[in-house]
Amino acid sequence: MKKTILMISLIFLISILSGCWSKRELNDLALVAALGIDFIDDEYAISVQVIDPSQISSKQSSSRQAPVVTYHAKGKTVFEAIRKILALSPRKLYFAHVQLVVLGEDLAVDGIRDSIDFLARDQEIRNDFTIIVSQQTTAKNILNVLTPIEKIPAKKMLNSLTITQDAWGSTSEVDVEDLVTKLGVGNQYFVLSAIEIQGDKSLGIDQTNVERIETPVKLKFTGLAIFKEDKLIGYMDEYDSKSFNYLNDNIKSTIEIIACPSDGVLTTEITQSKTTTKGLIKNGSPTINVNIDIVQNVAEVKCDINLTDLTTIDWINRQTELSIKKNIDESLHVLQEKYNADVLGFGEAIHRADPKKWKKIKEDWHTIYPNVEVNVKVNVNTHGSGTMQNSKLKE
Amino acid sequence: MSNAENDNLLENKTITSLSTSLLENIKTIQNSLGNSNDIIIREFLVGKPLEIPIAIMYTDGLADNTSINDFVLESIISNFEVTSETTLQEIAIRLKAYCITVGSIKDIADFSSLLNAILSGETILLIDGLAIGISTSTKRVKDRAITEPVTEAVIRGPRESFTETLRTNTALIRRKIKSPNLWIKSRVIGEVTQTEIAVMYINGIANEKIVKEVLHRLDEINIDGILESGYIEQLIQDTKFTLFPTVYNSERPDVIAGELLEGKIAILVDGTPFVLIVPALFTSFLQSAEDYYQSAFVSSFIRLIRFIGISLALVAPSLYISLTTFHQEMLPTSLLISIYAQREGVPFPAFVEALIMEIAFEVLREAGLRMPRMIGSAISIVGTLIIGQAAVEAGIVSAAMVIIVALTAICSFLFPAYGLSNSIRILRFPLMGLAAMFGLFGLFVGIMLLIIHLCSLRSFGVPYMSPYAPLIPKDQKDALIVLPRGSLLTRPRLISQMNNVRGRKNR
Repeated sequence: MKKTILMISLIFLISILSGCWSKRELNDLALVAALGIDFIDDEYAISVQVIDPSQISSKQSSSRQAPVVTYHAKGKTVFEAIRKILALSPRKLYFAHVQLVVLGEDLAVDGIRDSIDFLARDQEIRNDFTIIVSQQTTAKNILNVLTPIEKIPAKKMLNSLTITQDAWGSTSEVDVEDLVTKLGVGNQYFVLSAIEIQGDKSLGIDQTNVERIETPVKLKFTGLAIFKEDKLIGYMDEYDSKSFNYLNDNIKSTIEIIACPSDGVLTTEITQSKTTTKGLIKNGSPTINVNIDIVQNVAEVKCDINLTDLTTIDWINRQTELSIKKNIDESLHVLQEKYNADVLGFGEAIHRADPKKWKKIKEDWHTIYPNVEVNVKVNVNTHGSGTMQNSKLKE
Repeated sequence: MSNAENDNLLENKTITSLSTSLLENIKTIQNSLGNSNDIIIREFLVGKPLEIPIAIMYTDGLADNTSINDFVLESIISNFEVTSETTLQEIAIRLKAYCITVGSIKDIADFSSLLNAILSGETILLIDGLAIGISTSTKRVKDRAITEPVTEAVIRGPRESFTETLRTNTALIRRKIKSPNLWIKSRVIGEVTQTEIAVMYINGIANEKIVKEVLHRLDEINIDGILESGYIEQLIQDTKFTLFPTVYNSERPDVIAGELLEGKIAILVDGTPFVLIVPALFTSFLQSAEDYYQSAFVSSFIRLIRFIGISLALVAPSLYISLTTFHQEMLPTSLLISIYAQREGVPFPAFVEALIMEIAFEVLREAGLRMPRMIGSAISIVGTLIIGQAAVEAGIVSAAMVIIVALTAICSFLFPAYGLSNSIRILRFPLMGLAAMFGLFGLFVGIMLLIIHLCSLRSFGVPYMSPYAPLIPKDQKDALIVLPRGSLLTRPRLISQMNNVRGRKNR
């Protein structure tokens, strides 16, 4: 009996002595929603957007305080800068819920490899957050804009990115895992979505930004940024980014506009899109065949056209095919000739098709690539025309 | 009085048999009973020519006056016929054979059985010159009416419950099972209270080894009094060091009859409507009689909900504490922000908050039980809603904590069996402590220890967690889900181990 009591008391004492180590009360944490990394004067400048809990909860929304707070610090490395922020922040920063990382343009031009290393290595940071680039401004300015409707700007940016990708097609969600994989292989090209500030950025920092019906300062996604290895080399505008996404099989739904035979335009809504890319060596030179299958609906008719006639539908299909092909060819021109960036993995496609030949031409790929023949074949199928057939609104 | 002297007196009584002198017997009896004035002793003379002194004695209140007057006194005084040659022995035989018109008669030769008989409500006849007493059964059956069971209410099913009288209870069970194989073995346990215990089982279905073991354990009980079946439960259970009950109890005859049909053994104790059932398994505490009276799908669904309810009742506060204190990365961001916002300004760490709320709830619940009916419901509304709400607004606890505690409390009332819900409620606290010290790791270690303990428990030799562990696929039909009545064709294997088939294929 004595032994049992002794054992039980020992176990009890030992468990109490551990003192709940690694315990963190929620109130001791500062939830970081977004992280911004800039490179200014040879130093890393980190900005963090921290959630203010008392302003987030729905009850106290009438108060004048901002729902998020940003802190900034500079350091020789990313981690040093983060630790330096603690001198400003009231609580220890908690990175496990970071949803967005914004890389400043200056950092992107200089090379993002080192900052990505920290993000991938730290065990507290998850690996499913999105990375974007700030265009023509610093990450600090991006994080300093208040947004209406979505109280947490990081969430707003993430939402915009996702819904743009799903419904317009000019952005692309890239998380750090993809990035680490890409950067791990040499000579890689990749894209990140780019965001910019519209309006006077000094106004966005204030609550007045969200108190008006039209916010003076807005955050807008402009398209894709092209990276070679880990350095930024250029941007693509909205339409080129859309065509890029067609080639990359990343379109869920988007819009195409075609001109009617008489005056006016017709808008169609793409509902399904599937792209397959095949590489082959034709006559000794590498060729890429891209096949895009598209299903669409007629969405908006601004001309006089008979939609009940099957030939009209055929005509619409052909016109859409031509229009998409034209846009894709333009974007390919940008990619191949202007930037010489093999972002779509054409080299890999050739490698898959003919490994032996690829070995020979691998070294010269950057000279061959601009001249690679890309045959784009688009097949469009129109499935419906909404709830009306012919436009009932006659002139 | 010291134990030795007490034993001496007892010994004297058992050794002492009746003397032939009536007066001496009466004096001994009155002395033993301390001249208590509810023991009535009536002396009279019988047998016209012989004029033999006879005394009857009974306890007023326990014996039925009417049957004494009508059947004992009247028959002796009016109908007893003797001649001058009748010997004393013959008188005794004649009394028993021709005269006394009472159902059950016994001969008694020693004082202890005689006193026992008087104090059970029987009437003793003492004849001057004979050292034998005749005890006639005149017990007054003054019983509470058979009402609805208080602790086990069902929506559909019989609404009768056991009463405090042993004979009524055995009769209620006999009414449900009219088989001649339903046997009763009785014992008298408790030195001072001399309580009657009846062990009922269906011969041929129940495992004989378990029956023997039950009787053996009952015989080994050495205690001064048995007031409730809970005493018996604690004295015969397999191991003392467990929070989980290994003996099932119920106050509904249909539940007991159902268990008897499965091959279990019922122990009835005089003076309490709660009948014990052994062996008891974990699954019995999760089942209610209604499960068998309703559609199988509805019952399966409800059983699943009960099971989820226990798990929630056991781990919900611990999960909350460990997730918000150690593993904030596991919560979805919006939920985390919500909880974060609520906890602003709360001065206590999550564990202390949980502890305060849980203990407050336990206090309220216990107090609510003891309150008179009128105030009881007011306290529950006041206590839970208003105090909880006020505590949140005062900033002492967070709203999420109140929700968790309320959820836990409601879930712990899901069990049809009260005994298990107490165990779960107590077990919540050590699990909360483990979660507060070591996070999810501690919680899972605690749950593992619990499962190991449960799997090692046995109830009269039958593993407590069957049919889950050891896994008996055939018995799963009545474990977590229940199949329609026509498919429940075999009895649980480990309980009866023989006579496993209940019926042939039904529709």
